[in-house]
Amino acid sequence: MDQADQVAKAFVDHYYSTFDTNRSGLGNLYQDQSMLTFEGEKFQGSSNILAKLTGLPFQQCQHGITTVDCQPSGPAGGMLVFVSGLLVVDGGEHPLKFSQMFHLMPTPQGSFYVLNDIFRLNYA
Amino acid sequence: MDPDALAKAFVEHYYSTFDANRAGLSTLYQDASMLTFEGQKIQGSANIVAKLTSLPFQQCHHQISTVDCQPSGPAGGMLVFVSGNLQLVGESHALKFSQMFHLMPTPQGSFYVLNDIFRLNYA
Repeated sequence: MDQADQVAKAFVDHYYSTFDTNRSGLGNLYQDQSMLTFEGEKFQGSSNILAKLTGLPFQQCQHGITTVDCQPSGPAGGMLVFVSGLLVVDGGEHPLKFSQMFHLMPTPQGSFYVLNDIFRLNYA
Repeated sequence: MDPDALAKAFVEHYYSTFDANRAGLSTLYQDASMLTFEGQKIQGSANIVAKLTSLPFQQCHHQISTVDCQPSGPAGGMLVFVSGNLQLVGESHALKFSQMFHLMPTPQGSFYVLNDIFRLNYA
Protein backbone atom coordinates (compact mmCIF):
# COMPACT_ATOMS: atom_id res chain seq x y z
CA MET A 1 0.00 0.00 0.00
CA ASP A 2 1.62 3.29 -1.00
CA GLN A 3 1.53 6.45 1.07
CA ALA A 4 -1.53 7.94 -0.66
CA ASP A 5 -3.44 4.71 -0.08
CA GLN A 6 -2.48 4.85 3.60
CA VAL A 7 -3.70 8.44 3.91
CA ALA A 8 -6.96 7.52 2.20
CA LYS A 9 -7.49 4.50 4.44
CA ALA A 10 -6.72 6.54 7.57
CA PHE A 11 -9.17 9.23 6.50
CA VAL A 12 -11.90 6.68 5.76
CA ASP A 13 -11.41 4.93 9.10
CA HIS A 14 -11.54 8.27 10.94
CA TYR A 15 -14.54 9.60 8.98
CA TYR A 16 -16.81 6.61 9.46
CA SER A 17 -15.86 5.91 13.07
CA THR A 18 -16.62 9.57 13.87
CA PHE A 19 -19.88 9.35 11.90
CA ASP A 20 -20.89 6.21 13.78
CA THR A 21 -20.03 7.40 17.30
CA ASN A 22 -20.33 11.20 17.28
CA ARG A 23 -21.77 12.68 14.09
CA SER A 24 -21.34 16.29 15.24
CA GLY A 25 -17.61 15.59 15.51
CA LEU A 26 -17.49 15.65 11.71
CA GLY A 27 -17.68 19.46 11.84
CA ASN A 28 -13.93 19.98 11.76
CA LEU A 29 -13.60 17.94 8.55
CA TYR A 30 -15.58 20.49 6.50
CA GLN A 31 -15.07 24.20 5.79
CA ASP A 32 -17.22 27.05 4.42
CA GLN A 33 -16.62 26.05 0.80
CA SER A 34 -17.25 22.36 1.36
CA MET A 35 -20.05 20.78 -0.64
CA LEU A 36 -22.15 17.72 0.15
CA THR A 37 -24.61 16.07 -2.22
CA PHE A 38 -26.59 13.55 -0.17
CA GLU A 39 -28.96 11.39 -2.22
CA GLY A 40 -29.23 14.21 -4.73
CA GLU A 41 -29.77 17.01 -2.19
CA LYS A 42 -27.09 19.74 -2.22
CA PHE A 43 -25.57 21.44 0.84
CA GLN A 44 -22.75 23.93 1.20
CA GLY A 45 -20.66 24.89 4.20
CA SER A 46 -19.74 23.02 7.34
CA SER A 47 -22.76 24.08 9.44
CA ASN A 48 -25.33 23.21 6.76
CA ILE A 49 -23.62 19.90 6.09
CA LEU A 50 -23.50 19.03 9.78
CA ALA A 51 -27.15 20.02 10.21
CA LYS A 52 -28.05 17.56 7.46
CA LEU A 53 -25.93 14.71 8.81
CA THR A 54 -26.97 15.12 12.44
CA GLY A 55 -30.61 15.47 11.31
CA LEU A 56 -30.72 12.12 9.46
CA PRO A 57 -33.67 10.05 10.67
CA PHE A 58 -31.90 7.44 12.78
CA GLN A 59 -30.26 7.32 16.19
CA GLN A 60 -27.50 4.86 15.49
CA CYS A 61 -25.68 3.60 12.48
CA GLN A 62 -22.70 1.50 11.57
CA HIS A 63 -20.72 1.72 8.35
CA GLY A 64 -18.86 -1.35 7.06
CA ILE A 65 -16.35 -0.48 4.34
CA THR A 66 -15.92 -2.87 1.42
CA THR A 67 -13.64 -0.95 -0.99
CA VAL A 68 -11.48 2.20 -0.85
CA ASP A 69 -9.84 3.59 -4.01
CA CYS A 70 -7.86 6.80 -4.19
CA GLN A 71 -6.10 8.99 -6.76
CA PRO A 72 -4.32 12.36 -6.59
CA SER A 73 -6.63 15.03 -8.01
CA GLY A 74 -4.22 17.53 -9.53
CA PRO A 75 -1.54 20.16 -8.81
CA ALA A 76 -3.27 21.57 -5.71
CA GLY A 77 -2.33 18.41 -3.77
CA GLY A 78 -5.87 17.12 -3.40
CA MET A 79 -6.91 13.48 -3.16
CA LEU A 80 -9.98 11.70 -4.43
CA VAL A 81 -11.29 8.84 -2.29
CA PHE A 82 -14.00 6.49 -3.58
CA VAL A 83 -15.66 4.22 -1.04
CA SER A 84 -18.26 1.48 -1.20
CA GLY A 85 -19.75 -0.36 1.71
CA LEU A 86 -22.71 -1.31 3.87
CA LEU A 87 -24.72 0.81 6.30
CA VAL A 88 -26.77 -0.65 9.16
CA VAL A 89 -29.24 1.80 10.70
CA ASP A 90 -30.76 1.43 14.21
CA GLY A 91 -29.77 -2.25 14.32
CA GLY A 92 -31.89 -3.00 11.25
CA GLU A 93 -31.85 -6.46 9.70
CA HIS A 94 -31.02 -5.50 6.13
CA PRO A 95 -27.89 -3.45 5.56
CA LEU A 96 -28.09 -0.69 2.97
CA LYS A 97 -25.39 -0.54 0.32
CA PHE A 98 -23.78 2.80 -0.38
CA SER A 99 -21.10 4.49 -2.47
CA GLN A 100 -19.44 7.75 -1.51
CA MET A 101 -16.71 9.94 -2.92
CA PHE A 102 -14.63 12.52 -1.08
CA HIS A 103 -12.28 15.15 -2.49
CA LEU A 104 -9.76 15.95 0.24
CA MET A 105 -7.71 19.14 0.13
CA PRO A 106 -4.62 19.81 2.26
CA THR A 107 -4.77 22.33 5.11
CA PRO A 108 -1.83 24.59 6.05
CA GLN A 109 -1.47 22.55 9.25
CA GLY A 110 -0.62 19.42 7.23
CA SER A 111 -4.01 17.79 7.58
CA PHE A 112 -6.92 17.40 5.10
CA TYR A 113 -10.44 18.75 4.91
CA VAL A 114 -13.34 17.55 2.76
CA LEU A 115 -13.98 19.96 -0.11
CA ASN A 116 -16.38 17.66 -2.01
CA ASP A 117 -18.57 14.86 -0.65
CA ILE A 118 -21.13 12.90 -2.67
CA PHE A 119 -23.17 10.07 -1.11
CA ARG A 120 -25.53 7.63 -2.82
CA LEU A 121 -27.33 4.54 -1.62
CA ASN A 122 -27.08 1.64 -4.05
CA TYR A 123 -30.55 0.14 -4.27
CA ALA A 124 -31.09 -3.46 -5.33
CA MET B 1 -23.47 25.71 -19.75
CA ASP B 2 -24.80 24.98 -16.29
CA PRO B 3 -22.69 22.35 -14.46
CA ASP B 4 -25.47 19.78 -14.10
CA ALA B 5 -26.23 20.01 -17.83
CA LEU B 6 -22.55 19.69 -18.62
CA ALA B 7 -22.17 16.64 -16.38
CA LYS B 8 -25.19 15.00 -17.96
CA ALA B 9 -23.87 15.71 -21.47
CA PHE B 10 -20.48 14.26 -20.58
CA VAL B 11 -22.02 11.13 -19.07
CA GLU B 12 -24.21 10.53 -22.10
CA HIS B 13 -21.27 11.01 -24.45
CA TYR B 14 -18.94 8.82 -22.38
CA TYR B 15 -21.24 5.82 -22.07
CA SER B 16 -22.63 5.95 -25.60
CA THR B 17 -19.04 6.00 -26.89
CA PHE B 18 -18.12 3.17 -24.52
CA ASP B 19 -21.05 1.09 -25.72
CA ALA B 20 -20.63 1.77 -29.44
CA ASN B 21 -16.89 2.29 -30.00
CA ARG B 22 -14.67 1.82 -26.95
CA ALA B 23 -11.52 2.86 -28.82
CA GLY B 24 -13.15 6.26 -29.37
CA LEU B 25 -12.71 7.00 -25.65
CA SER B 26 -9.03 7.83 -26.23
CA THR B 27 -9.77 11.48 -26.99
CA LEU B 28 -11.23 11.85 -23.48
CA TYR B 29 -7.99 10.89 -21.67
CA GLN B 30 -4.49 12.40 -21.66
CA ASP B 31 -1.04 11.27 -20.49
CA ALA B 32 -1.77 12.47 -16.96
CA SER B 33 -5.08 10.60 -16.75
CA MET B 34 -5.55 7.87 -14.15
CA LEU B 35 -8.04 5.00 -14.14
CA THR B 36 -8.64 2.64 -11.23
CA PHE B 37 -10.76 -0.22 -12.58
CA GLU B 38 -11.92 -2.69 -9.94
CA GLY B 39 -8.84 -1.83 -7.90
CA GLN B 40 -6.36 -2.05 -10.78
CA LYS B 41 -4.44 1.24 -11.39
CA ILE B 42 -3.69 2.38 -14.93
CA GLN B 43 -2.14 5.65 -16.13
CA GLY B 44 -2.15 7.45 -19.47
CA SER B 45 -4.59 7.43 -22.37
CA ALA B 46 -2.97 4.56 -24.29
CA ASN B 47 -2.85 2.24 -21.28
CA ILE B 48 -6.37 3.17 -20.21
CA VAL B 49 -7.85 2.54 -23.64
CA ALA B 50 -5.90 -0.73 -23.90
CA LYS B 51 -7.54 -1.84 -20.66
CA LEU B 52 -11.04 -0.78 -21.67
CA THR B 53 -10.87 -2.27 -25.17
CA SER B 54 -9.58 -5.57 -23.80
CA LEU B 55 -12.36 -6.13 -21.25
CA PRO B 56 -13.72 -9.64 -21.67
CA PHE B 57 -16.94 -8.91 -23.53
CA GLN B 58 -17.81 -7.90 -27.07
CA GLN B 59 -20.81 -5.72 -26.41
CA CYS B 60 -22.30 -3.93 -23.46
CA HIS B 61 -24.94 -1.37 -22.59
CA HIS B 62 -24.69 1.12 -19.72
CA GLN B 63 -27.97 2.37 -18.26
CA ILE B 64 -27.52 5.36 -15.94
CA SER B 65 -29.56 5.67 -12.74
CA THR B 66 -28.01 8.71 -11.01
CA VAL B 67 -25.60 11.53 -11.94
CA ASP B 68 -24.28 13.95 -9.29
CA CYS B 69 -21.73 16.68 -9.90
CA GLN B 70 -19.79 19.33 -7.99
CA PRO B 71 -17.06 21.81 -8.94
CA SER B 72 -13.72 20.50 -7.68
CA GLY B 73 -11.76 23.67 -6.92
CA PRO B 74 -10.04 26.73 -8.40
CA ALA B 75 -8.64 24.92 -11.46
CA GLY B 76 -12.14 24.73 -12.95
CA GLY B 77 -12.50 20.97 -12.64
CA MET B 78 -15.74 19.06 -12.14
CA LEU B 79 -16.45 15.89 -10.22
CA VAL B 80 -19.11 13.59 -11.65
CA PHE B 81 -20.47 10.62 -9.67
CA VAL B 82 -22.52 8.05 -11.56
CA SER B 83 -24.42 4.93 -10.64
CA GLY B 84 -26.16 2.57 -12.99
CA ASN B 85 -26.51 -0.86 -14.55
CA LEU B 86 -24.17 -2.55 -17.01
CA GLN B 87 -25.73 -5.18 -19.24
CA LEU B 88 -23.31 -7.46 -21.02
CA VAL B 89 -24.70 -9.00 -24.20
CA GLY B 90 -25.33 -12.68 -23.55
CA GLU B 91 -25.67 -12.34 -19.76
CA SER B 92 -29.12 -12.61 -18.19
CA HIS B 93 -28.52 -10.30 -15.21
CA ALA B 94 -27.24 -6.71 -15.40
CA LEU B 95 -24.30 -5.73 -13.18
CA LYS B 96 -24.60 -2.67 -10.98
CA PHE B 97 -21.76 -0.16 -10.96
CA SER B 98 -20.62 3.16 -9.53
CA GLN B 99 -18.07 5.40 -11.21
CA MET B 100 -16.53 8.78 -10.53
CA PHE B 101 -14.88 11.11 -13.05
CA HIS B 102 -12.80 14.23 -12.40
CA LEU B 103 -13.05 16.37 -15.52
CA MET B 104 -10.54 19.13 -16.20
CA PRO B 105 -10.94 21.88 -18.79
CA THR B 106 -8.86 21.89 -21.98
CA PRO B 107 -7.57 25.08 -23.66
CA GLN B 108 -10.04 24.41 -26.51
CA GLY B 109 -12.98 24.80 -24.12
CA SER B 110 -13.72 21.11 -23.76
CA PHE B 111 -13.01 18.66 -20.89
CA TYR B 112 -10.80 15.63 -20.45
CA VAL B 113 -10.90 12.92 -17.79
CA LEU B 114 -8.05 13.38 -15.30
CA ASN B 115 -9.36 10.84 -12.75
CA ASP B 116 -11.63 7.85 -13.34
CA ILE B 117 -12.55 5.26 -10.71
CA PHE B 118 -14.90 2.35 -11.52
CA ARG B 119 -16.39 -0.23 -9.15
CA LEU B 120 -18.98 -2.91 -9.60
CA ASN B 121 -21.55 -3.00 -6.79
CA TYR B 122 -22.00 -6.66 -5.93
CA ALA B 123 -25.21 -7.92 -4.34
